[in-house]
Amino acid sequence: MLRNPLVPTLSGALFVALLALAAAQLSAGDIAARLSRQANDAIAQAGIRGVEAHFVTLSGAPTRHARLTGGERLDDAARDRAARAVAEVPGVGGVHWRDSSRGSQGSAEAARPLNCQEDVEALLRTRTIRFEEGSARIDAASRELVDEVADALRPCLGSIIAVTGHSDAAGPETDNVALSYARAEAVRLALVARGIPADGLRARGVGSSAPVEGLDPADPANRRIEFSVIEAVPLNPTPVDPPGTRVTVTR
Amino acid sequence: MPIWLELLTLLLITYAAGIAIGWLLWGSAPAEREDLS
Repeated sequence: MLRNPLVPTLSGALFVALLALAAAQLSAGDIAARLSRQANDAIAQAGIRGVEAHFVTLSGAPTRHARLTGGERLDDAARDRAARAVAEVPGVGGVHWRDSSRGSQGSAEAARPLNCQEDVEALLRTRTIRFEEGSARIDAASRELVDEVADALRPCLGSIIAVTGHSDAAGPETDNVALSYARAEAVRLALVARGIPADGLRARGVGSSAPVEGLDPADPANRRIEFSVIEAVPLNPTPVDPPGTRVTVTR
Repeated sequence: MPIWLELLTLLLITYAAGIAIGWLLWGSAPAEREDLS
């Protein structure tokens, strides 16, 4: 006999929901109490005084997300140390301060200089993004490197990053410019596919006009892709951003 | 996010995934199967 599947399916969902609520009722308080104990121990071990971690929501329900109170007179580094200590406790879902919206990594992120360009250059110093002969298709072997480049560029989200294609001097320069642009565009699209916002990436091709310093313009080693931060924009422009940590035009 | 909401979300997603997998494997919700009803 066939039945309407909606009724048992929804009944099952209701049963599961009740099960979840009952389980939460039984265990949530203990979980929050354990997290609270461990988090406050971690704060003490980090040498921070006057900061307390609370694992209750504003409505009073137990949560895994810590709310830190106190520490108003501590400097950013100490507050960040406290937040990190809490964030490292297994099971903690997230950390925020009651008196600000900064997360556990907020001030550290803000204070970190914009070094993604150096990271990308370090990646490309020993390896290069290769393309199939005479084409703008990224070689399969280089896709992993593009993944790493995307990871290195991620801290610069919000900045304008130029992807510049270069070629050697072999062949007509118009073709070289077109191919170097097509390759830069291919890399740009590959980065977009890896989650880097398209509006922060500019592709350009300069042909053989900018050979590697000290190299003959005809040397095939001039075929390369370069990344440069042409406009740095802070991720979260907040008043707590220390001055001078974001750079503009580094190339 | 309170723990009860996390647990509720997790279990409901698991339940929905189970229903979906069953549907994909057997082509119907479990309650539609004649041998179960």
